[in-house]
Amino acid sequence: MGLRDILTGRRSVKGPAPDKLFAISTAYVTLETEHQIMPSGTAAIVFQALATSDFESTLKDMEGVVTATGGDTGTTVSTQDDSYGYRWMILRSPADKPCVEDLAVGINAVSGSIETAGYGDRLLCAVFAFDDRSGPGGAAGSAPGRASRVYFIYNYKRGFWYPFVPARADGGAQTDSEQARSTERELQIKAQIGSELPIEPELERWFPLWGIPI
Amino acid sequence: MAARRTSFGKDTGLQARMLLTMFLLGLVYAAFVGVLFAVGAGAGVIIVVAVVLLLLQLFTSDKLAMATMGVKEVSPAQEPELHGIIERLCVQADLPKPRVCVMETPMPNAFAMGRSQKSTTVCATRGILDMLSPPELEGVMAHELTHVINRDVMVMTLASFFATLASLILQFSFFFGGGFGNREEESDLEIVVLVSVIVYAVSFLLLRALSRYREFAADRGSAVLTGRPSALASALLKISGTIERVPAQDLRTAEGLSAFFIVPARAKKSLLNLFADHPPLEQRLAALQRLEAQLQGTA
Repeated sequence: MGLRDILTGRRSVKGPAPDKLFAISTAYVTLETEHQIMPSGTAAIVFQALATSDFESTLKDMEGVVTATGGDTGTTVSTQDDSYGYRWMILRSPADKPCVEDLAVGINAVSGSIETAGYGDRLLCAVFAFDDRSGPGGAAGSAPGRASRVYFIYNYKRGFWYPFVPARADGGAQTDSEQARSTERELQIKAQIGSELPIEPELERWFPLWGIPI
Repeated sequence: MAARRTSFGKDTGLQARMLLTMFLLGLVYAAFVGVLFAVGAGAGVIIVVAVVLLLLQLFTSDKLAMATMGVKEVSPAQEPELHGIIERLCVQADLPKPRVCVMETPMPNAFAMGRSQKSTTVCATRGILDMLSPPELEGVMAHELTHVINRDVMVMTLASFFATLASLILQFSFFFGGGFGNREEESDLEIVVLVSVIVYAVSFLLLRALSRYREFAADRGSAVLTGRPSALASALLKISGTIERVPAQDLRTAEGLSAFFIVPARAKKSLLNLFADHPPLEQRLAALQRLEAQLQGTA
């Protein structure tokens, strides 16, 4: 931001950074084979839904396109608004064969058509859900407990990824009513994934997203 | 409709007025400095004092204000919704997350403090948290974050530097007036006092104008950030409906921070808009309605 912007207080919202979304479609292989972090077969994209007829018709067109292309791979699309007033578009690949590549292609189709319509600055994040089976309760543990959720969040403004692990209340179910996150696990995952995913370098920008509907 | 690059139009008029105001302020200050140097004696000391004061103001005012007003920082566990709103706005605005504080008062208001993006505090009162719906609260928080992005605390503090200096000279001259004995120096002092009075008066008006323009800019920034100008308009209507009915004690303690509040904390209405640091509500609503019209493509 230049001096003139400071003096006159000019504001425009930053558009998407150069796209590194597809890094996930190779990184997940390492996650799956070496670290027992399995793709759950769901991904979502979150954006601000403008209450204008132009934006709504853009969304409608786009949903049609994504549903049509998803038909070949069995990917289904649904839409949901959260309590903060943001809209989630959720992509699910069929339960028997979760495919991260298909999901990444689908998410890219959604963000691409929002950008083409001139609303790229409304894109917030893409989220890919994974199941962490590495700890106790996972495949390595003795008791077959519940795997915990790991989210990989792609920040469109920054063009970086970061892991987000909502904390479980002592052995109980994962909940976000307390809004606790396991920073320790997130940092472990960051170290495990190394250079395969462009990770957000500034830790204070690992913003949590509460109420992720996947 | 063809693909548009931005949802909102330009605000050339507002920018031009802001730059003109800053230019006039600069002009007044340049003349002031010229006179101080021409007169010479004693001015150096006063300038040093003023610079020290300025730095103190920049680096401690937020902490002082927080300490005196009973503002306390809240964790995500205490205020999940407020934190959630601010986190998403920070992603959208590409900002590091500020410290989030709550002030326990029924008066509905919000403000941002801090000199840079890295050391910022946004604060909401209990009253505003209880009163507004999430989209409205988001609009208000986006307004405050725009103050942060525009570095308004820094701009206003620097802009008011010479006004502070002028008022210091006036105070000094009342305390030590006529103590020099020398007739020539006394007449010099009179010139300095006279000039200081003029500088203070003119810069006061210009600063107030600048503050109003930056409020408009922050309203606009909020609309651009959230894409919901009408949510902020609705929030402003709700807040202004109650702000005049709050107990006087709260208003008095809040007076010092008024420049950074989303709506001014004053019980009585100002007679002249010229002296107000916030633009009148009708004008802010009209500006937000123009933005909504641009967004809907009907402007």
